[in-house]
Amino acid sequence: MSVSERTNPKGWFGHTRLPDEQQRALAQATRLEWATIGFLAVTVTIVALVLGSSQAMRAAWIEDMLSFLPPIAFLVATRVVRLKPTVAHPYGFHRATGVAHLVAAVALLVMGFYLFFDSASKLVSAEHPSIGGITLFGVTFWLGWLMIAALAITSIPPVILGRMKLKRAEALHDKVLYADADMNKADWQTAAAGIAGILGIGVGLWWADAAAALIISASIGWDGMKNVRGAIGALMDASAKTYDDKKPHPLAARIDRTLRELRWVEQARSRVRDEGHVFHIESFVVPKRGRMPKLEQLEQARELCSSLDWKVQDMVIVPVAELPDEFLPGVTSGGER
Amino acid sequence: MRRTIALLVTGVLAAALTACGVSIPTDPYGTLDRVRGGTLVVGATANEEWVQIDGAVPTGSEPELVERFAEHLDARVEWVTGSEQELIDRLDRGEIDMAVGGFANDTPWSEKAAMTAAYVDEVDEQGETVKHVMLTRMGENAFLLELETFLTEKA
Repeated sequence: MSVSERTNPKGWFGHTRLPDEQQRALAQATRLEWATIGFLAVTVTIVALVLGSSQAMRAAWIEDMLSFLPPIAFLVATRVVRLKPTVAHPYGFHRATGVAHLVAAVALLVMGFYLFFDSASKLVSAEHPSIGGITLFGVTFWLGWLMIAALAITSIPPVILGRMKLKRAEALHDKVLYADADMNKADWQTAAAGIAGILGIGVGLWWADAAAALIISASIGWDGMKNVRGAIGALMDASAKTYDDKKPHPLAARIDRTLRELRWVEQARSRVRDEGHVFHIESFVVPKRGRMPKLEQLEQARELCSSLDWKVQDMVIVPVAELPDEFLPGVTSGGER
Repeated sequence: MRRTIALLVTGVLAAALTACGVSIPTDPYGTLDRVRGGTLVVGATANEEWVQIDGAVPTGSEPELVERFAEHLDARVEWVTGSEQELIDRLDRGEIDMAVGGFANDTPWSEKAAMTAAYVDEVDEQGETVKHVMLTRMGENAFLLELETFLTEKA
């Protein structure tokens, strides 16, 4: 099979056709990520031109370089998940999102650690950063002013981009996009710390620069840690959480409720894992009076559940005599029955 | 985390504002203030036409520039001579304020000393451009800026 046969048209994730709202969000998010990459290319160039010997500037610059990763991860992953499931990959390629998320997160974490120790060693060895002058149009002035201007100018667009991406991340249930939006939204703090560091150098506080760099690197490392935890959790089949990893995803409870409301159903519980954008659901159902449901009833139940949300496609319903607590931890002890 | 950052930033900004009486940049060790109307201690190491050391006072194009810079600051020059290594160590300890010796802007000493912007280009025998700089003590940014401004305007 050639790649073109295996790839779905736009607007599909594996065998899931995206609803209009999600298709729009995906198209917008893709544009936003390209805009981010374009903007970052400009930022990295501007900041590189005025880098000087400030550690805080260096940290902010490296953070900008790292900011390329999540948009690239998003763009690659959203292409891969369009592939149709194959014999070798019957679940589809949704996990590409999780892999992209993990790659980006590990890069953040490692860089955060590296910068933290680099800045700490500069602080300990009391290295005094030197920032001299620059001559532009025949006027010589302190390069620090230019650095501050560069940081201030480049700090605003990511905040706007971040807010715009956040909305789409929720619609798409995309954690890479969310991580990216979250980092962008916090970008002004990096700039502010950098500006404080350079002003510190300006007033003769040599340590302010390394201290600011410490704060920036700690925030990079913190972002990395948070994201590594989220990405690994999803890859380890943790039960599905909301796009920001803050709460259990409400869909799991809704599915159980929907199934229980069926006439033939006595009890129902599901395992829901997050494959990337879509969920993989196994629902265990106890029929009333131990009578096996008809084939149509099972079909109907499945259709009813997948009509609840576009994320519900890959779902199996297993009729059982009683809920298997080995697959559903917390069922018997939780007093559900 | 966010709150910590905000607090620290506010703190440093406040410190910066209260220090507004000071001009930006300022030297952590006050080199420029001390030199102005006082003594400029300069390290020199011999290097072709840039610095020649025959008597007690070095001659050449760079010592000449240094004398004019000192004049600009109402300071008198006190010369110290030695190898590049010695001069860099002395700069690091703050025993001298600056060093000359035909240094280029790709000098391996850039980790231990602050470099001025290149003030003159020279084409060497291999046909490559060498950008010449002077060295000052790390982090004495007001002094560095003063020297750079002087060099770009006068050289």
